Amino acid sequence: MATDSLDLLQGTLDVLVLRALSWGPMHGYAVARFINRGSDGTFKVLDGALYTSLHRMEERGWIESEWGNSETGKRAKFYRLTTVGRRAVRSETTNWNDYVAAVARVLAATPEPAR
Amino acid sequence: MPYPHTTPAWRRYLRLIRSPIARDVDDELRFHFQSRIEELTALGAAPGDARRRAEEEFGDINQVRSDLMSIDHRVAAQRHRREDFSDTLADVRYAFRSLRRSPGLAAGVILLLALGIGANAAMFTFLDTVFLRMPAGVVDPGGIRRLWRYHQFSTEAQFWPGFSYAQYDAVRTALGDRARTALYTAPWKVKIGLGESSGEAQFVKAEAGFFALTGARAEIGRLYDSTEDRLDGPQRVAVVSHDYWQRALNGDRSAIGKPIVIAGSRYTVIGVMREPFVGVDLDAADIWIPLAFEAEGRRENGPWWKSPNINGFQILIRPAPTANDAQLEQRMTAVLRRPDFGWYSDTLSVARFGSIVRAAGPGKQEQEVQIGIRLAGVALIVLLIACANVVNLLLGRAVQRQREIAVRLALGISRSRLVRLLFAETSLLALAACGAALLVAYLAGNLLRRLLLPEVHWASSPLDGRVVGFALGVAVVAAIIAGLIPALQSARADVNDVLKSRSSGGGREGSRVRSTLLVSQAALSALLLCGAGLFVRSLSNVRHIDIGFDTQRIITATVSYDDHSRSSDSTFPARLGELASRISTIPGVRHVALSSARPMYSISWLTFFTETDSSRRGFSPTWTAVSSGYFDASGVRLLRGEDFPKTRGGPHAVVVNDAMAKLAWPGRPAIGACMRFGKRTEPCYRVIGVVENSRERSVIEDASPMYYLPLNDLPPEARGWTANYVMLSTDPRSAASVVGSVRGLIRQAFPGGIPSIVRLSDYLEPEYRPWRLGATLFSAFGLLALVVAVVGIYSTTSYSVQQRVQEFAVRIALGARLADVVQLVVAEGTRVVAIGVVLGVGLAIVAGKLVASLLYGISPSDPATALGVAAILFVAGIAAAMFPAWRAARVDPAATLKTD
Repeated sequence: MATDSLDLLQGTLDVLVLRALSWGPMHGYAVARFINRGSDGTFKVLDGALYTSLHRMEERGWIESEWGNSETGKRAKFYRLTTVGRRAVRSETTNWNDYVAAVARVLAATPEPAR
Repeated sequence: MPYPHTTPAWRRYLRLIRSPIARDVDDELRFHFQSRIEELTALGAAPGDARRRAEEEFGDINQVRSDLMSIDHRVAAQRHRREDFSDTLADVRYAFRSLRRSPGLAAGVILLLALGIGANAAMFTFLDTVFLRMPAGVVDPGGIRRLWRYHQFSTEAQFWPGFSYAQYDAVRTALGDRARTALYTAPWKVKIGLGESSGEAQFVKAEAGFFALTGARAEIGRLYDSTEDRLDGPQRVAVVSHDYWQRALNGDRSAIGKPIVIAGSRYTVIGVMREPFVGVDLDAADIWIPLAFEAEGRRENGPWWKSPNINGFQILIRPAPTANDAQLEQRMTAVLRRPDFGWYSDTLSVARFGSIVRAAGPGKQEQEVQIGIRLAGVALIVLLIACANVVNLLLGRAVQRQREIAVRLALGISRSRLVRLLFAETSLLALAACGAALLVAYLAGNLLRRLLLPEVHWASSPLDGRVVGFALGVAVVAAIIAGLIPALQSARADVNDVLKSRSSGGGREGSRVRSTLLVSQAALSALLLCGAGLFVRSLSNVRHIDIGFDTQRIITATVSYDDHSRSSDSTFPARLGELASRISTIPGVRHVALSSARPMYSISWLTFFTETDSSRRGFSPTWTAVSSGYFDASGVRLLRGEDFPKTRGGPHAVVVNDAMAKLAWPGRPAIGACMRFGKRTEPCYRVIGVVENSRERSVIEDASPMYYLPLNDLPPEARGWTANYVMLSTDPRSAASVVGSVRGLIRQAFPGGIPSIVRLSDYLEPEYRPWRLGATLFSAFGLLALVVAVVGIYSTTSYSVQQRVQEFAVRIALGARLADVVQLVVAEGTRVVAIGVVLGVGLAIVAGKLVASLLYGISPSDPATALGVAAILFVAGIAAAMFPAWRAARVDPAATLKTD
């Protein structure tokens, strides 16, 4: 386990998973690959947390699952976004971007002179 | 997109061991590890390292696995619920659509069920408020007992809840610390305020202990305590109910400390009772005042609390938790048999506890309540008839839809799903009916209360959660009864038979069910109509009882004052006499007389002796002081002898009624006989006339002995009795204008007095009420049943005509005449009615015993009533079958036969 990677907040992980699935139905392993490749090793998500996130979002109705065959012909569980989930991708992504921008603004700001 | 897959055989066995959810989670995770390990080995890692790395990257496998499983369990449950719901929703939507296609049927079913359920809900709410519901706001009402005593009265033995104060005192002492006790008077209507514009309220006189026993508390102000309720010196304080405070005192907090005039006396309002307490009786109380004011306005020798004659008090007892009811009852029985308690304190007396709900017994119920209980049974029968009819309608519909259902079955709908689908339809109908029924129940509940117990001051609305629950329960049961038979029958249908047969014919079994239902409907209608007939004839019998008085013509008039001053005014009788002579000049007034009492309103006794007997005898006649002309005015006919002379000064005279003449002087002429009043040595009053018997207290009673003494020549024993009422007879048509004129004359002659003018017919109306009520309500239900049954016969006959249209066409083509076809159809309807009537009348004779006690002058198995009902049902049945028969006879054979 890479100890120097950043820990991720739960909500952040959800955004990433939703983003992954917005490219089309994927099985859990494909989602994991997508996230860990996309981050270029800046952070590392525990694969277990990823599955928890997938199942929880299924409970929330954002995604739905179905068994199918993987590219290697093995039986795998595929996830895809529901209509509600697609809407969630947009709003969660916006939220996240706003959050990042806000953090960036704070980091860039200089203290105002005292009056 | 994922593709369909087949499950390997070995996994099917595994499924038996693991739940599908655990299997899915394991499969998913296994796939993850396989893929990761493969990828790592492809990149050159050793197999062992690859596995370790994959596990490292994953985290706590066991924790994640159990997390995923619990999430998936929730997801699965959610999905189940959603599927069930959407199935039900689809059923309901389908039911709704199919009902909208036949609005007539839906309306009919809803109406029938609404009437049936509504009638039952109304009866339930009535019986609930009378028998079941504990008085509101009372702490632990189940722990409170009402004391009753059993007595042999002159006419019958019964339980009675009234006691004298002395009896209460003895009971209280005997119980000691084994129970708490309280004494109060039942709610009574009383005048509030002064003058003619005064209002009315229900008031209760209660011991201070009444509040402690019931747990009543003040909302504002306070309740009175035992120091204000001393027998020999009570304080004039009053507590009002929350409702009365809102209604009459405008909910004003400053009402506390203000005066209130109750029955002509001034009291101070000291508190408002906390909601929802309105006493412990069905009749809600508005005002409570100390019990010690019982003596108010009474002329008694000695303190009232020692008098055995003032004995209308109610006793409440809350036994200690350890006390044994039976032992307490025995103890009190012994106490009540003390001879110094006066009347009814003999060895037959028994003390018994009852519920705080008075109607729950053990005393006799009022006739109206008894009618109410019977009506609950009647309402149930009406519901049965309605259900039978609904089943019939739905069966007819099911037969019409047989093809549609067969197609559905052929397309693979499961039979259980089909039953559910059809059931959704009846449930929807029942639910709509339930809503309509609550409206019916609300209206009918109010109506029933007003009709059955109009004097009761109701504290609660007729509808509450329990009634809604009851109506829903009945609706569900009705839906099951009315929906199950057609649904099962449709589901049982053989698909091949139906689809192959050309016509949409109803099965033989279906028509048998429908005839059975029709017969039972006819039978139940006959039963209810018999009941109605019996009650109507009872009413007519009671109406025709000759009570002696000319009720339609008599009007009595008197004057009262707010401050009881009339009793001390010695000029009052003379002024009343003057008033009488003035009244006699009003146009339309035929006769005018004076009397000491209003007919059937008050009675009194005197000690008297005849030549032969002592004062001890087997009868005790009542008497009235009257003026000359009383018999003309009252309509009590003179049988023998003469009326009192107009002028005084002649010999002392008395007039007796026929019953008295026969009892006092059996076998001898009464005229000329002698009566002495008070003592044997008093002067002789000779009987100068015998009049017909008249009623003493109520319309229905045996003729009782009575006599009349002249107002202007009363014996010393009767001194103190004066003219109290002017009695006049008038043409019933001019009665209203006469009442107005009399009122004017009284205002003129007695300034400040309050006129009280009563038509005897109005006064007696409550006497006829139970009879009229039985007749009205039973007739209403009987008529309802008849209409429902007729509709049933009509719809069934027209349906069967529709089914057999080809048969009729063939018959007509072969030469059947119009009359033949009509006869054929009508005969069938008549047969159903005939069987129903025979069964129904039989039932009525058996069930008649249940209402026998509520009838007058008619036997429950009265043949004339049964015949009348049979005739009505036959005519109605034939009429109902006639229309469809006519349609059958006018079938065009050529057109009908060609269509097939």
